[in-house]
Amino acid sequence: MIEMNIRSKIIFSFVFALVGFMIAIQFQTTQEPKVRDTRDLWEVRTELQKQQKTQQELLAKERELNKMIAQYEGQSNFEKVETLNKSLNNLKLKAGLTEVKGAGLMLTVEPIFQDLEYAETYPTVSPSLLHQLINELNTYGAKDISIGQERITNLSPIRDVNGTTYVNNHPVPPLPIKIKVLAEDPEKLLNYMEVSDSLEMFVIENLSVSMEIRKKLTLPEYEQTPDLQYLETEDATETGET
Amino acid sequence: MWLPILFLIVGISLGFISDIRVPEEYANYLSIAVLAAFDTLLGGIRAHLEKKFDQAVFVSGFFFNVILAAFLAFLGVQLGVDLYLAAVFAFGVRLFQNIAIIRRYIVDRRSNKKEIEKNERK
Repeated sequence: MIEMNIRSKIIFSFVFALVGFMIAIQFQTTQEPKVRDTRDLWEVRTELQKQQKTQQELLAKERELNKMIAQYEGQSNFEKVETLNKSLNNLKLKAGLTEVKGAGLMLTVEPIFQDLEYAETYPTVSPSLLHQLINELNTYGAKDISIGQERITNLSPIRDVNGTTYVNNHPVPPLPIKIKVLAEDPEKLLNYMEVSDSLEMFVIENLSVSMEIRKKLTLPEYEQTPDLQYLETEDATETGET
Repeated sequence: MWLPILFLIVGISLGFISDIRVPEEYANYLSIAVLAAFDTLLGGIRAHLEKKFDQAVFVSGFFFNVILAAFLAFLGVQLGVDLYLAAVFAFGVRLFQNIAIIRRYIVDRRSNKKEIEKNERK
């Protein structure tokens, strides 16, 4: 090695140290802290139970479908048509194309005329309010919902058209509006809804919502043809298929 | 020869011990700066082997390159152009060149030594 004088050596060493320092910092910065599993035994157990429940549900579903396949395969033509009709009706029920009856909650939206100074116009229900209400109802276990005479399906539009709220492309009737909700457990739904945020939002807009449990409620069917123009069949094989 | 390597180790361990982390947003700048520092360092070694080493050039080059590279990255972020790629490219190419030249010098010197030894035996 060619000999350096002592000053260059020191400078070199200093720069080397600086580079080392920078590399170490850079390394530390890019090395992300490893995510550790910090759940305790109880949490892991709960998670396991949840997964087992999901598995059971999936298995039950699979069994049902297998039964349906067996029905299709092992039957005469007439029975096949019958089975087909049965599943068609089942699907229609799920899509909200049929009238449904059952126990549930009846919500009545009415105007409040407390501070007459401000309430110059007759209050109306805005789409965003309805959206929030429906979202909350669905969160707390509602099965089927109808607003006035309009059944809410997965495809139901709720929007503002020239200042009027339209549901399913029909204007909502003037207040009071009746909203019917079917639920497995109406009492639980009522309890949840009594402390929900959306009722407060209704009050801010000068609307009050009263709720009562009804043993028998009839929800109208969705009258229009569901517009499925954005749905496409998928050709790819699903996971699990061979 | 051993002093710089000792200092390199000291620098690295100092960096690890101090446990300094640069915020995520600035990690890019630091990486470019590290690259520039590497480049300057190798340039310095090469210059030394070529016996053209100049302390002032080396030290000024080190700091100037590091700052320029970080500034270039910063400018690129402001303009929405990936200018730091220019720095990465330039420094990357020079890094390889410098390493190649250093390697050649070392190999040359070895073969020279062997020839000298051969001549001495005769």
